[in-house]
Amino acid sequence: MRCEQWQERIALAAGGDLREAERAGLEAHVAECAPCADELAALQRSLALLREAHEEPMAEAHFAAVRGRVLAEIDARPRRRWEWAAALAAAALLLAGVFVFLRTPHQKSSPRRPVAAVTAPPAPSIAAPARPPTRRRRLGAPIRRVRGTVNPAEVSSEPVVVKLLTDDPNVVIYWIGDSQ
Amino acid sequence: MRSLAVVALAGIGPIDESPDPLAVAKSGNRAAFEQLMRQHERLVLATALRLLGNMADAQDASQEVFLKLYRGLGQVTSHNLAGWLYRVTLNVCHDMHRRRPDMAVEADPPAPADPQRELLAAEKREVLLRSLRTLSERERQVLVLRDLEGLSTAEVARVVGTAEATVRSHISKARVKMKEFVERSFRRRV
Repeated sequence: MRCEQWQERIALAAGGDLREAERAGLEAHVAECAPCADELAALQRSLALLREAHEEPMAEAHFAAVRGRVLAEIDARPRRRWEWAAALAAAALLLAGVFVFLRTPHQKSSPRRPVAAVTAPPAPSIAAPARPPTRRRRLGAPIRRVRGTVNPAEVSSEPVVVKLLTDDPNVVIYWIGDSQ
Repeated sequence: MRSLAVVALAGIGPIDESPDPLAVAKSGNRAAFEQLMRQHERLVLATALRLLGNMADAQDASQEVFLKLYRGLGQVTSHNLAGWLYRVTLNVCHDMHRRRPDMAVEADPPAPADPQRELLAAEKREVLLRSLRTLSERERQVLVLRDLEGLSTAEVARVVGTAEATVRSHISKARVKMKEFVERSFRRRV
């Protein structure tokens, strides 16, 4: 068996991981092979050095920082849960209120009828031409019929306006109709 | 901490903890959960640091692991807690790595107690972090768990979710790569 083929076993032996059955063979080889003995010693030294570095105490501040952050996160968590619970409870309450309101039969208040105010246009004025002073008719004289003239513009231009007052003081309905 | 993790994985359970903080934490006790974190924070943070390569990301990962623990307290027992934490740490680090494959490698800044000694220690930490970057993700996982955290090969296989023979194959390759990197970095010392 060449030395390269022993390398894996040497590496395992350096950390105490070689199986019992393999150990005797390796020990025999290392006893008569100086390079493999050196390799085993070098592996053991490097492992010891790395372990020494690893086991050095770490600054307490590093642990304290982690602990502080974890505990702060834990403390913040229930508050967040509580806030969510409160929000959900409020939403549920609101929904329940709406449901109850919709399901409750309400006493219908007598609907107020809209008040209508009719603004009638002023009576059409008939304009007659100024008559001359009445002269007494002589008996036997034929009767002269005086025909008055009506100004059509004055009569038909004024519409009928109906004002409806509703429950809402801000809503007023006007109905405008043609008088003819 | 390493011995605690091994004991817990072996099924014996944590020692001299009365009452069991895990059981108390399950009832919603914040102080018990904090105690639970204190017991396992090194396991989580050190593993995350070796897997990710810098402290800021390792702290983010640890935070996520402990929040997952808090949310999943019902799933863990004192017997499987250490294994559960290792597995979740590996998963969280894997996800972070997938999101940001170009993560920075920064050694933990040294505390200037003994400058000479600290200089050497900082150098070792730097070599450790950089040598881990020479490994594939799977090799890094098995080496961190087996050689740095001290889990057995069988435990590593359970945490990683693979066969024990595969773990042995990964671990031997990883050790050789690490040794070569260390030799290059500390040629005069090692």
